[in-house]
Amino acid sequence: MSNKKPPEELFQKIKDNEGIIFKICNTYCQNKTDREDLAQEIVYHLLKSYHSFNDAYKFTTWMYRVALNVAISFYRKNKADNVITLPEDEHDLADNHQTVELEDNIIILQQFISELKELDKALMILYLESKSYKEIADIIGITETNVATKISRIKDLLKQKFSNLNH
Amino acid sequence: MDEIELKDLLASYNHKLEEAKVLNMQSWVLNYQCFETLQQQKAKLKLKRLANFKIVAVVLGIIWVAFLGLLVFYSLEISKIFFAISAGAIMLFTLAAIIVYIYHIVLINKITNSENVLKAQETIARLKISTLNITRILFLQTPFYCTFWWSTKLITDAPAAFWLISFPIALAFTFASLWLWKNISMKNAHKKWFRILFNSPEWNSLIEANNFLEEINNFKQEGY
Repeated sequence: MSNKKPPEELFQKIKDNEGIIFKICNTYCQNKTDREDLAQEIVYHLLKSYHSFNDAYKFTTWMYRVALNVAISFYRKNKADNVITLPEDEHDLADNHQTVELEDNIIILQQFISELKELDKALMILYLESKSYKEIADIIGITETNVATKISRIKDLLKQKFSNLNH
Repeated sequence: MDEIELKDLLASYNHKLEEAKVLNMQSWVLNYQCFETLQQQKAKLKLKRLANFKIVAVVLGIIWVAFLGLLVFYSLEISKIFFAISAGAIMLFTLAAIIVYIYHIVLINKITNSENVLKAQETIARLKISTLNITRILFLQTPFYCTFWWSTKLITDAPAAFWLISFPIALAFTFASLWLWKNISMKNAHKKWFRILFNSPEWNSLIEANNFLEEINNFKQEGY
């Protein structure tokens, strides 16, 4: 491991893109303590791996790669502790100003995403970010066609889930 | 739910994910001045991890090999030939396992999270699974634990005991170790004998790694 301090601007860049960390932590961890631990772990690995950043890639692509790899490893290590149901007291993503229906749908969506396999979760995070299929393929390591097929399949599953709930 | 409704829902969810400040990212996490503190904390964790079996196994293995080396060195005479050969063989198998362990440790340190997700995760899973190779190698040394006390005197003075008890036991261990060497592989992980033999958290995590590897391979396939 490099003992050199990472350049100061890296901290600012990570801070500018901290939404990526929030999003990944919220998707992969079901409880607050785990989210904080994962956030720390991700930031640590970003700082540690800064020398591997290649200017040929966008900063966010590199950040997603590191953060998703750390999150998947973290998730697999703590898999037994991860409860896939949304805890009663942690409807964190629901907003009081939203309609009850939207609020409910968001909770159902969160539940659905938490039940996806870890690689599908990664795909979903990137899709929600409106990343291009090319960039998603680059981060995950599969072909663009494969990205398109998988996303379409996940969306179909989701639609089906909502249809089943409404009947 | 139609496509537009789904799109709106996903957009709302994405917005909430990003906005939700449920994550109490303490300021020090992103504080340049505190990187060293963070690094020290992680170093402590790493030291803790040093206690894991790979590092401990290498250290113990080296001590064991050195000890066996000494024994072999002082047993190089015809009357102790069985002992010298057995101890020498055990030493070589242990040495092979140590080399594989060291190679693993080097690989672990080389793993970089900035690889694409599948590549990095695949390397991690493969490393876990390769622990099997060490176990296979170590099983091969078991027959030599049955032969180190043999001597030409034993064979000539008590031929019945030797040919009817000692020799068949050593032969059985030889066949068993060769069979295990051939059959210990992830493709047999579901079998009952495998589960009885390797029922521990470490092995469970290995099986999980293998399942994840399969998941990765499936994920790579288009249309899966």
